Amino acid sequence: MRLPQPEKSQASVGVLIVLVVLAVVITTVWFREGARGPIHRARLGVLAVSTPVQAGGEFVTRPVRGFLSWASDLGVSRSQLEALRTQNTELRARVSTLEEARLENIRLKKLSGFTQASANKTVGARVIGRPTNQWEGVITIDRGSADGVAAGMPVVGAQGLLGQTVGVTKHSARVRLITDPNSGVAAMVQSTRAEGIVHGTLDGKLTLDFVSSETTVRAGDVVISSGMGGVYPKGLIVGEITRVRNAPSALYQDIEVTPAGKLTGLEEVLVLIDTARDAGVGGGE
Amino acid sequence: MRKFLPTAAAIIGAAILQAGLAPYLSIGGVVPNFMLLVVVTLALVEGASAGAMAGFASGLIFELLGTGPVGPMVLVLTLTGYLAGLMHEKLFAEGWLLPLSVLFIASLGAEVAYGLILNVLGVGGSFWLAFFTKMLPAAVYNTALALLFYPWLARFLRVDRPMNTFRRLA
Repeated sequence: MRLPQPEKSQASVGVLIVLVVLAVVITTVWFREGARGPIHRARLGVLAVSTPVQAGGEFVTRPVRGFLSWASDLGVSRSQLEALRTQNTELRARVSTLEEARLENIRLKKLSGFTQASANKTVGARVIGRPTNQWEGVITIDRGSADGVAAGMPVVGAQGLLGQTVGVTKHSARVRLITDPNSGVAAMVQSTRAEGIVHGTLDGKLTLDFVSSETTVRAGDVVISSGMGGVYPKGLIVGEITRVRNAPSALYQDIEVTPAGKLTGLEEVLVLIDTARDAGVGGGE
Repeated sequence: MRKFLPTAAAIIGAAILQAGLAPYLSIGGVVPNFMLLVVVTLALVEGASAGAMAGFASGLIFELLGTGPVGPMVLVLTLTGYLAGLMHEKLFAEGWLLPLSVLFIASLGAEVAYGLILNVLGVGGSFWLAFFTKMLPAAVYNTALALLFYPWLARFLRVDRPMNTFRRLA
C-alpha cells in the first residue's frame, strides 16, 4: 500500500503572531474598559442571541433530566428516608418555636417604634441556561431589564442566597452563583456574629475567609449574609459550616461552607429588585 | 470560499452545542468543550494557519458566551490550533488513534494553559484542585466525545479530497 504524499506546509508564523497580539490586546481592553466598553457590549449581544439557544437546550433536555432525577431518587435507602422523616419532625417543631419568636419580635418592634428596614420586592424567574463552561458558576434566567432586573441585584432561592445578576439584556440576565470562583459575599456566622467573606471554589464548595483564629466557630453553624458592602441584604442564609481548621500560627481559620441549597439543578429563582446596584458592583460585569 | 463555509458552519454549530447542549452533558461539574473539538479537528485537516484562525474565532465566541475575562481562551485556542496544525503533515487525519491522542494532549494543554492564565490574572482558585477536578477530567471527556464527533467532523471539513478511511466509524 502506498502512503500518501506529505501535504504542503501551510503554517504561517506571521498569522500566528498577528492573532496572538490581537488576543493580548483583547485581554487588555477587556480589563481596562468599563461595563459599557465594546467587548462588554458584545458579550451582552451574544447573551441576547444565545438566550433562545440556551432556553431550547433547557426545554429539550428537561424530560431526560426529570427521568434521571427520578431514577436517582430511587436509590434513597430506607435508613435515609427514616433520617429525613426524623429531621422533618425536628424542623417542624423548630419552625413552630421560631414562629412564636417572630410574632413576639413584631410585637416588641411595634412597642419600641422600630421600623422594618425593607420588605424586599421580588421578581420570580425561571432558569433557562446553565454554565457553558467548567470554569464558572453562572446561570441564565428569563427576566431582564424589561422586568425591572438590573446588574448587581441579589438572587435567592427557596433555601437561601444563590448569587447576583451580572449581565442583563431586555429579556434575560446572567446570575453569578455564590459558588463561582469570582464570587464574594460579605457574611457572618449566625451564632457568634463572626464576620468574614464567603468565596466560591472550583469544586462547587464555599470558603469563609478572614475569620479570626480567636473566634469560636464550629461545624454545623449557619452562615448568613452580613449586609456589609451593600450588595446583599443582611440575614440571607448562605450555607452551613462543614469543616473548620485552625492552624496554630495562622491569623485566620480555614473554614469550609456547604451552600444552603443545591445549586446545580435550579429551576426557579427570585431576584430582589429593590436593591438595585450600579453595573459592576460586587464583581459584576 | 469553498473551505470557508464548512469551517464557519462547524464553528457556529459548535457554538450552538456549547450554549445549548454542553451544560446538560456536564458530569461532576466538567463541561465538554465543543469549540476545542472543532479547532483541533480543523487544524489536523487543514493545517496550522487554519487551526490558528479557527482557534481565534472559537475562543472569542467561547468567552463571549461566559462571564469570565475575554481574551485568555482566545490566546489558548489560537496557540492550540496552530500547534495541532503542525501535526497536519506528520500524521494521517484519516486515522483515529493519532488524532485522538493529539486531541487529548491539546485538550489537556489548553485547559492547563487557561487555568494558569486565570491564576496569573488573579481569577479562579487553586491550580492543583483545578487540575484534578477540571483539567484532567475535561481532557478525558473531550477525547471520549471526539470518538463520536471527530470522524464525521473531519469528513465534513475536508472538502478538497474525500477521506479514505473511517468507513467503519463514520
